[in-house]
Amino acid sequence: MDSFSSPSPGSSQQMSAQELKNKLQSQLALEYAQQFLETVRGKCFEKCITKPGSSLSGSESSCISRCVDRYIEATGIISKTLFGGSQH
Amino acid sequence: MDLSELNTPEMQRFYSEEQQKAVVTEMVAKVTNECWDKCISGTPGNKFSSGEASCLSNCAQRFVETNMLIWKKLQSMQ
Repeated sequence: MDSFSSPSPGSSQQMSAQELKNKLQSQLALEYAQQFLETVRGKCFEKCITKPGSSLSGSESSCISRCVDRYIEATGIISKTLFGGSQH
Repeated sequence: MDLSELNTPEMQRFYSEEQQKAVVTEMVAKVTNECWDKCISGTPGNKFSSGEASCLSNCAQRFVETNMLIWKKLQSMQ
């Protein structure tokens, strides 16, 4: 079902506007998260999986974990430098 | 949904706020992507070295300056 074409019956105009905002915001949050995942996956795959073996080794998976933490930290540093805030 | 609800002043304000947030988010993502490659060599550790952290910060500032310089140059070429 198309989530944008199903007003709940009897809701006030105020409520539908709020519902629309919530839907748009959760769509956007999902989109930002997907883009972030894609970027971090690319960066950390490059850094941590240098010679792909028959399975993911313990050191590779801990590298990925650290890499994700550092990428999030880097995003915070860049955000703070550019805009003085701490969002990402 | 009544389509006129999509176009109220309140919704217009909401759209431009979200637009603004999207621009900021995209810029942070772009600069982080570039500066990560320039500043983080080797495998990531448990914390950034002070060199890495200051490189990231410098990199972001230089990115903005580079953007301005190129913008000015292109304007002067018109």
